[in-house]
Amino acid sequence: MNPTEEQRWLALQAEVDALAPAGLDTVLASLPQWDSLAILLVLTHAEQAYHRPLTGAQVRACRTARDLVALLS
Amino acid sequence: MQSTLAPLRLAGLAVTTGPVERDFLQDGIAAGQDPVALERVARTVGLRRRLVAAPGQTALDLCTDAARRLLAACPVEAAAVDAVVFVTQTPDHAQPNNASLLHGRLGFPKSTAAYDLALGCSGWVYGLHQAAMLCAHGGARAVLLCAGDTLSRTTNPRDRATDPLFGDAGTATLLVRVEGGAPWHFVLGADGARARVIEVPAGGARAPRGSSPWEERTDAEGNARHPGNLHMDGAEVFNFTLREVPAAVAEVMTLAGWTEPTVAALVLHQANRFVISSVARKCGFPPAKAPMDLVERFGNQSSASIPCALVESLGPRLSTESLQVVACGFGVGLSWGATALTLGPMTIAPTLPLASLA
Repeated sequence: MNPTEEQRWLALQAEVDALAPAGLDTVLASLPQWDSLAILLVLTHAEQAYHRPLTGAQVRACRTARDLVALLS
Repeated sequence: MQSTLAPLRLAGLAVTTGPVERDFLQDGIAAGQDPVALERVARTVGLRRRLVAAPGQTALDLCTDAARRLLAACPVEAAAVDAVVFVTQTPDHAQPNNASLLHGRLGFPKSTAAYDLALGCSGWVYGLHQAAMLCAHGGARAVLLCAGDTLSRTTNPRDRATDPLFGDAGTATLLVRVEGGAPWHFVLGADGARARVIEVPAGGARAPRGSSPWEERTDAEGNARHPGNLHMDGAEVFNFTLREVPAAVAEVMTLAGWTEPTVAALVLHQANRFVISSVARKCGFPPAKAPMDLVERFGNQSSASIPCALVESLGPRLSTESLQVVACGFGVGLSWGATALTLGPMTIAPTLPLASLA
């Protein structure tokens, strides 16, 4: 069974501490810890949990947390 | 490419670090960064302390010290050293090369060849392969491999994504031809299409120093650099590493006929804890077999990091017993080199900082 959007979001949040205070509609640029390290953590999570190599550019292009989750589906 | 060379022995290793201690948290706080955010990076990436060169000290100085101490400690006659290979991205001069300068400093005979290889974090494995070829096929009795950089000088102090990463060190590795012994295996590769992911854009023949002003720019994350500074696209370097390194490690282990239980250690270029733990996991090695604490003590030492990890993590064992070790360097080029080596017993010189110049 494929994980739902909410399951993917909770798993992502657990791995990327910068996303802890965020909701799905939070604008990533507004998060104080949304930086190059946070982007690396997203890439690692995508690789480890979904075997999906993302590029830094793909992650940087996301505006909201929901956009990030969409990359993982 | 794949390469298998024999019969060879590593006679000894020595590491000389820069003497100046830098502290990631203190430096960040002095630069006005939030201590909580700094601690988060320190914990995740593994940045604590690093040792950098003092003003006036270069990779040539660091490697000269390591080479002198190694040759004094090794039961190999300096006169048997038929070649000096120097791996660096931070040579003293555009010309002549560092190997020739070291040749002169150590007083090698004119029959000893000397040349440089321009490589960074993958460089020790490439240099070892070069030295091994000289012994296995080129008639050299012994080869002195020096590998080191002063990358801490190439970054912009206002680039908080790159500047805190690097430590400075020089290493000396002595390789000798022997009568019998286990073969050494190598897998070397490059991805030149992505060469600009790690670069110092200006200062070479394409954009010489002084040809145009080096304008400092600040990126979206507030990090400043000019074209003479080292710049890495961290996310792309990370992706490159996870894509290429586990594959190269698997390939060299297949070439050697080794499996994880027969390997004493997976010694990866000490980029940072985060990268090493991710790669080790993907290679199927338990964290205890992949040294990853070196960055917290020394910083990312470029081509010096694998020999430093061998000395600091396996030194006592390597001085008394024989171990099967897999090593992999990866970085600027983009390039990577993986090797499966049977090492030891060998001379391990103590790691020391180079005394500051008076």
